[in-house]
Amino acid sequence: MSSRPGSKSFPPVAVVGGGVAGLTAARALRERGVPVRIYEVGPQLAGLACSFRDDEGFSFDFGAHFVTNRLAAALGMGAVCRTVQRYGEVVRVGDRFRSYPLGLLASPRHDVSAAVARARALFDATAPQSAAEAFRREYGPAFADEIALPLVEAWSGVAADQLAPSVLQKLPTGIVRTLLMCAVGRLTHRAIAIGYCREQPTSPHVWHVYPEGGTGALCARLAEGLEDVVELQARVERIHVVDGRAVGLRVNGRDVEASAVVSTAPIHVLPRLVEGTDILADFTAFQFRAMTFCNLHLRGRGLLPDVVVWLPERDFRTFRVTEATQSMPWLAPEGKTTLTVDVGCRAGDEWWRLDDAAIVEASLDDVRPLVPDVRERFLGARVLRTPIAYPVFLRDYEAARRRLVDKGTGVDRLLSVGRNGEFDHLLMEDVYYRTLHRVRRLADELCAGGRGFSDREPRASTADAWL
Amino acid sequence: MQTLRWAPAGDGLEMEKVVCCLCGIDDADPVAVGEDFEYHTSPEVFRAVRCRRCSLVYLDPRPAASEVSRIYPADYHAYDFSAESFGLVHAVRRRLEARRMLSWCEGLGPEARILDVGCGDGFHLGILREFGRPGWRLEGIDPDPRAVEAGQRRGLTVHQGTIQTVQLPPSSFDLALLIMTIEHVDDPIGVLDGIFAALRPGGRCVIVTDNVESPDFRVFGGRHWGGYHFPRHFTLFGKQTLRAAAARAGFEVASLRTIVSPVNWVYSIRNLLVDVHAPEWMVERFSLRAPGALAAFTLLDMANARVGRGAVLNAILRRPATVTEAP
Repeated sequence: MSSRPGSKSFPPVAVVGGGVAGLTAARALRERGVPVRIYEVGPQLAGLACSFRDDEGFSFDFGAHFVTNRLAAALGMGAVCRTVQRYGEVVRVGDRFRSYPLGLLASPRHDVSAAVARARALFDATAPQSAAEAFRREYGPAFADEIALPLVEAWSGVAADQLAPSVLQKLPTGIVRTLLMCAVGRLTHRAIAIGYCREQPTSPHVWHVYPEGGTGALCARLAEGLEDVVELQARVERIHVVDGRAVGLRVNGRDVEASAVVSTAPIHVLPRLVEGTDILADFTAFQFRAMTFCNLHLRGRGLLPDVVVWLPERDFRTFRVTEATQSMPWLAPEGKTTLTVDVGCRAGDEWWRLDDAAIVEASLDDVRPLVPDVRERFLGARVLRTPIAYPVFLRDYEAARRRLVDKGTGVDRLLSVGRNGEFDHLLMEDVYYRTLHRVRRLADELCAGGRGFSDREPRASTADAWL
Repeated sequence: MQTLRWAPAGDGLEMEKVVCCLCGIDDADPVAVGEDFEYHTSPEVFRAVRCRRCSLVYLDPRPAASEVSRIYPADYHAYDFSAESFGLVHAVRRRLEARRMLSWCEGLGPEARILDVGCGDGFHLGILREFGRPGWRLEGIDPDPRAVEAGQRRGLTVHQGTIQTVQLPPSSFDLALLIMTIEHVDDPIGVLDGIFAALRPGGRCVIVTDNVESPDFRVFGGRHWGGYHFPRHFTLFGKQTLRAAAARAGFEVASLRTIVSPVNWVYSIRNLLVDVHAPEWMVERFSLRAPGALAAFTLLDMANARVGRGAVLNAILRRPATVTEAP
């Protein structure tokens, strides 16, 4: 079936899901001569990374995706990627916009509050108990309560004292280096990817790019050469576990043997699929935030002060408005632009059940303080919804989440990878490298025929490889 | 292990996924992303990685064999490093190289057979013909017909092909030269195996290649380092990885040191300038035709080489006198 000459003689590894993570896993396994089979429930590959282009010439992705020149090079598709020349974020505070990170540093009140909080933290050995505490200690109560926590709460839909402190993921690059990178980006007209990959270091030589054909082209690239092992419209109904080890699955009512299972299914769904152990039961409680993305097509360009505007004030329904054409002019026809209005919700709640027209109306109202003549500029809109946009790190299940991070699923030869499978705020390049590293260990294990497999490894330090 | 290929994307190149040639496995972290700053042969973007197990640096993915004629354009410098084109630099380099090469040839008999693998336009064989002993039998190998033609124009014996494909009498050469070549080839261990077989027991192989443990790599290694020569240098060594490669082919290491070269310094700066679209006159100050920059960086690299961190590695390997087959 999926075996090729040179392949090892064991049943194929089953990969559940044909998005970036699933395809990366399948490629890595195949490169090591491990037979593999991909089961994708949809009628086509691409998962979350699909792209669209409408008849009017507006392009958009399902959510925002960040691709770097380093990832493009890894996939041999640098020649079809365009450089993103600029990327910037601002926060609206009162009637003013403050740039990230420099403008935010320029508030003496916030700075003093942060300094005092940091000084106090020196004498406080206890670990913060919630995201609210962690942010107040790190950035001072003034900045935390006025800016950071309202954004975190709008984004997650939960009060910050109910969130785990791990929500705060510090800037991996540090403030001085971040400012340096911003300066290099301005000079070279390249949007340096700062903090968009945790697996590989930030570097002045790594910037955002965008592939022709959208981020879906990335999946098409990953899928090259795997055509013969992809099964579309293949619903995985069960993952069979015997004696603590994944041994096969049921797909569209048919049982299939597998030497391992690599799942990209959302982690809270996985326990329902697994049969033969209840070790994953805790993951059922994990929650994802649902999100609507309303793409407003408007006349004009450069309507926002920067690419992304964060809105911590509670009188906005949205917490973030993005004008991607400032970074990537080709996403809309000349003289036109798209503002994407993101609203967090729960799948099935009142907002989620609104029809598209009502969401567009509400979004236009929301944007009006930023673009007063938005209705005069309005050309049309498109609403996208996803029930699974961001993982919510609740304190209630933080211990189980840590166990997933440190020990994996707990089932031998069952890997849970990808943004939803790892239950982590991962961007494209992290998904790629994390999946690679974990699947390679699986391949080593399978080829060695050993037992006692764990897909986790100590993180390698790559700190000084760049610059 | 299976090689997966990618068809060219847009005007890009056909690319193939590779593994570490020492470990036989793909377990590497990216160290650099760059483009063909020197010849602009394609709009492709390239990635150099470092093996997490052995530290070998290599291009992954890399252009497939089908792209060789595209990535080595007609004006590629190795095909025509002539006195006419390079003037003073040519004359000085020739003198310096002659001294170096004769030291490698110490102890060779009056009728020694010498093979230059990847001989380009025959620059090094020409030096041996001029400054070496008259009875030495000199031969070269290069896969590119343009290089073979250039060598033959100089009256040299040059075989077209690779050490793996050209039928050479086994155990017949006294000295093999692998000068700025091992980093270009798609199978460095295969080349070393081929040289091992061609050398008589006790014969020597001299390797010169870019050094990834040098200060110029530390400064420019994220993108602009001249030694990447994107996308023509497939494998890049440090002392440890070169030693490991030699051992894999069955060689003994007689000496391994670094030597002075300004070229990677000069080309690193040139690549940086090209990348930021600096004016042409500024870019031209940094090239093989720029004696000023070459002289300045020669002085700098002399200091580096003194502490064992010169820009270029120089290994002298020996085929053991008693062992006849590579392991």
